[in-house]
Amino acid sequence: MENTRQSRAARDFIRVWTVIVLIFIYLPVICDALSSLSKSRYFSFPIKRWSMDWWVKTFNSMEIGELVRNSLVIAFAVTIISTVIAFCGALAFARYDWKGKKFFQKAILLPIFFPQPVLGLALLLWFNSIGVPLSWKTAAFAHLVWITPIVTLVIAIAVYGFDPALEDAARDLGASRFQIFRMVTLPVLWPGVWSGMLFAFLLSWGNFPLSLYTTGIDNTVPKWLYSKMVAGYSPMVPTLGTMSTLAAAVVMIAGGAAVYFIRKARSRNS
Amino acid sequence: MSDKNAEKIAKPSLIARIQDLIASKGGRCAMPVYILMLLGFIAPLAMVAGFSVAEPKSFTAFTSFSLANFAALFEGSVWKSFAWSIGLAAFTTAILVPICYPVAVGMVRVFGRMGSLAVSVLSVFPMFVSENVRLYGWILFFTKKGILDGTLALLNGQGPDVLYTPGMTAFGMVYTYLPYMLFPIVLGVALVPPDLITAARDLGASRFRTWREIELPLAMPGVLIGMLLTFVLSAGAVAESKIVGGESVMVVTNEVNVAFSYSQNWPMGAAFAVTLTFIIGALTIYAFRKIDLDKILGRA
Amino acid sequence: MTDKKTQEDQVPEIKAGATLLDLVHVCRSFDGVPVIKDVNLQIRKNEFFTLVGPSGSGKTTILKMLAGMDQPTTGDIVLGGKSISALPPDKRPTCMVFQFLALFPHMTVGQNIEFPMRIKGIPRDKRVYRAQELMDMVALPEKYYDKNVMKCSGGERQRVAIARAFAYDPEILLFDEPLSAIDAKLRKTLQRELKELHRKSGKTFIYITHSLEEAMFMSDRVGVLRSGVLEQVGTPEEIYRHPNSSFVASFIGDTNIFPVKARPQGGYESPDFPGMEIKIAPTPELLEGKLIVRPESLKVVKDPSEADNVIRCKLRDSFSLGSRSQYLLTSGKKEITLELPHGACGDGTSEVLLGWNAQDAIFVKE
Repeated sequence: MENTRQSRAARDFIRVWTVIVLIFIYLPVICDALSSLSKSRYFSFPIKRWSMDWWVKTFNSMEIGELVRNSLVIAFAVTIISTVIAFCGALAFARYDWKGKKFFQKAILLPIFFPQPVLGLALLLWFNSIGVPLSWKTAAFAHLVWITPIVTLVIAIAVYGFDPALEDAARDLGASRFQIFRMVTLPVLWPGVWSGMLFAFLLSWGNFPLSLYTTGIDNTVPKWLYSKMVAGYSPMVPTLGTMSTLAAAVVMIAGGAAVYFIRKARSRNS
Repeated sequence: MSDKNAEKIAKPSLIARIQDLIASKGGRCAMPVYILMLLGFIAPLAMVAGFSVAEPKSFTAFTSFSLANFAALFEGSVWKSFAWSIGLAAFTTAILVPICYPVAVGMVRVFGRMGSLAVSVLSVFPMFVSENVRLYGWILFFTKKGILDGTLALLNGQGPDVLYTPGMTAFGMVYTYLPYMLFPIVLGVALVPPDLITAARDLGASRFRTWREIELPLAMPGVLIGMLLTFVLSAGAVAESKIVGGESVMVVTNEVNVAFSYSQNWPMGAAFAVTLTFIIGALTIYAFRKIDLDKILGRA
Repeated sequence: MTDKKTQEDQVPEIKAGATLLDLVHVCRSFDGVPVIKDVNLQIRKNEFFTLVGPSGSGKTTILKMLAGMDQPTTGDIVLGGKSISALPPDKRPTCMVFQFLALFPHMTVGQNIEFPMRIKGIPRDKRVYRAQELMDMVALPEKYYDKNVMKCSGGERQRVAIARAFAYDPEILLFDEPLSAIDAKLRKTLQRELKELHRKSGKTFIYITHSLEEAMFMSDRVGVLRSGVLEQVGTPEEIYRHPNSSFVASFIGDTNIFPVKARPQGGYESPDFPGMEIKIAPTPELLEGKLIVRPESLKVVKDPSEADNVIRCKLRDSFSLGSRSQYLLTSGKKEITLELPHGACGDGTSEVLLGWNAQDAIFVKE
C-alpha cells in the first residue's frame, strides 16, 4: 500500500538527514577512540603507528583505578537510592489522583530544567555553609537531585500503562497489600523500574558538571578527564574517555538485553 | 462541602497543603521526592539567594544586607557574559529545532519499530557519556594535524582554524544539547494522530499546509518543551566555552565560578546565579503553566 | 488456616431461592451528590440476577459496594443475616469479573487462575489440578495452561477471567459488563456459556449490563436502574409484559409511548391524536399517564372496526430487518414505529390505518 503521509522524497530526506545527525553525534567519539590507539605521545593524523600502549598504561594506572572506584561507588549509591525514591514518586506522578498532583508533576521537573553547573555551584555553597565536607557522598547527593526526577519520569511512563484494576482484582481475590505489591504491582512495573535503574547508573557514571563542584577530594572519571584536558594533551584523556564510553555502552546493551529477555520470557509460548 | 468552597476561595495555607499531602496516598508517595528537592534544590537555591544580598566578600548569609552585588552586574563586563549566554542559548535553541524535527518525524513515522528503537538508543546514549569527553573529540577533529586537518593535508588542503572561538562555543552547545531537543520533539510528534494527517491530505490540503496547520500545532507541546529545555541548559552551560571555546567568551556560569573560587566573593557569584536562575525560572514557570504532562507522557 | 478464616466469613446454610443478599436502604453519594438513592433489593441464593441501566445510572457503584471496593454512605448490605458493609473485598465471599478483566499480564493462563489459590496457601499439586478442572469447565484447552494471557483472544481471556474468579471459590460472582467489548457473534456464544455455567455451578451470579437484551437473555431476575433509583425488579417476562414506567418500557427496545389523560365526558384521549377517544383496558384508576404500545401490538387494518383504537398514518421510511421490516410512520406530528413483514405498510402513497386492541397496550403512571 502506498504511504500517503510522507512522500518518497521526504522519507529519503529524513533517512539521509538522520544518518548525518547520527554521524555528527558519534564523530567526536570516534576521534577519541582513534587517538587512543596511536602510539605517539602527541596526536597527529593520519596515525603513523597504531598501538594499544595507552590502553594498557591507563588500565594499569593506580590513580585511574581509584577514579573508577569512586565513580562506581557514586553510581551504585545513586542508582539504588534514586530508584527507590523515584518509584514512589512515579506512583504519585501517574498512578494516584490526588490534590497536589499537577503541582507535583511540574515541581519535580524543575531540577531537570535547571543548568547543572549552576546547581553544582549552588550545592557547593550550600554544603560549605552548613559545614558538610565535600566527598563522594556530597557528589552522590548532588547527582540524586538531578537524576531522581529523570528516573521518576522513566518509571512514570511505565506506571501510566498500569491498569489499577489489577490491584483491585488481586485484592478481591484475597491478596493482602504486601502480596499485591510483591506479586502484581512490582512485577508488572519491573521493566520500567529496570530502565529507571539503568538511566540512574549511566547518568551518574557520565556526569561531569555536578561532580566538578561537589566531589571535593574524591575525584571521578569525568572530573579527572577535565582537569587533564585543560592542562594540555595526554593520550590518557581520549583513552580513558573511550574506555568510559565503552563501559557505558556495555552496561546499556547488557541492561537493555536483560529487559528484552525478561519481556521475551514473559511472552514466550505459542 | 462548605469547607471545600472556602478552600477554593482562600488560597490553601502551607499547613493545609502539607495536611493534604499526608492525607492522600499520592501525597505520601510524593514525600520522599519532596524532601530530596527541599534539601537538594530549594535549600541550596535559598542559600544562594541569601548570599546574593549579603555584604560583598562576606562568607555568611542572612547576617547583612546589601544590593551592591546586583549593582556589580552592570559594572565591568559581567553584563556581556549574560548577553553571550542568552545569545548562545537562543542560537542553540533556534538551530536545533530544524535539526531535530525531521529526525523526530522519522522516528515516529518512517523508521518502523526496530528502526526508531535503534535511532533512539543511539541518540540517548551520548547523554551517558560526559560532555567533556565528547567535546574533546571535536578538539581532536579540528586541531592542527587532527583528523580533519590531517585528512585534508593528504589532499594538499588545510583544515579551517575554528577552535577556541565563540562560534565553536555555539557549535559545542548545539552538539551537546541535541538529544535534549530531540526527545521532547519525538514525544510531541507522537501526539499527532496519523489519521488526522491522512484526513487533512484527503480534504485537499497540501503537504505544507497539512504540516503547518495540523501536524505542527499538535506537536507543539513537545517542541516547546524541547526548546525550553535546550534554552535553559545551554544558558547555564560552561563546559563548551571552556573546552572547545577556549574561554574566548566568558559565559555566566563561568563568572559565577570565578567569583566563588578565584575572587572568593561568594555574594557576587550568588547574585549572578540568582539573576540567571530568575531568568530561567520565569521562563520555565511560564511555559509549565501551558502544558499538561498527563497528556504528553500518559498517552502510551 | 486462611481457609478457615474464609469459612467463617461464609454464610450459614441458606436454601436455594431464599434471600442471600439484602440491600437495605442503600444510598451512596460522592461529594454530596447522591448517586444511589435508597436502593432496596433482595438477591436470592443461586439466582442469576442482572442489574441493567444506562451508563451513569449507578450500576457499577452498586456492584463495587457489593464487592467491597466501595461503601454505602447510608444503609446496609446484609449477607445471610450479617452486615458486610464494612468488610474489605478480600474478606467477602464475593468475586468480581472486571469489565476489562484485569488479567495479570505477567502471568500465564495457569498462573492467573491459580493466583487466588496461591494466596490461600493451597499446595501446588492441588492448585494445578483445580486449575485444570476450571479450564475444562470454561472450555479452555489443556495446553493453554502455559500460554501467556496477553496472547489469548478476547473470548479466551474472558474464560480465563471467569475461571480465575471461580478459583477463589466465591459464594457470589459479580460481573461488571465483561462482554461489552466483545463482538456481537461471540457475545451471544459467551452469554449462552455463562448461563450454562451458572446452572452447572450453582453459584449466585450478579451481572450488570447496559443492554436489557443481554439481561433478558441470561437472567432469572432483572433490576432496572435509572439515575440511582431501582425502577423495577422482576423476571424478564414481567419486565417485558408489565413495565411499571415508560422508562423501563423504552429501555427494552423501540416502543411507542403516548401521553393520555381522562376526558371530562369519560374515556381517555391523547394530545398526539386530537379528538380521538382512546380505549384502555382495564380502565386505569389514574386520570393521567402514559400508554405504551409495542411495535408488535400494532397492526395494519382496512377498517376502523377491526381494532379498539385506530389511527391514520403516513409512511415515512422503512428499514429492512431481514425477514421483516421496521416502519416509521407519522400520525400528525407523532412518530410511530412498528415491525411487520415486507410491504405490509404499502408504498407510502396512501394513508395507512394502524390499530391496536385495548388489552395489548400498557398503561403506566409516568
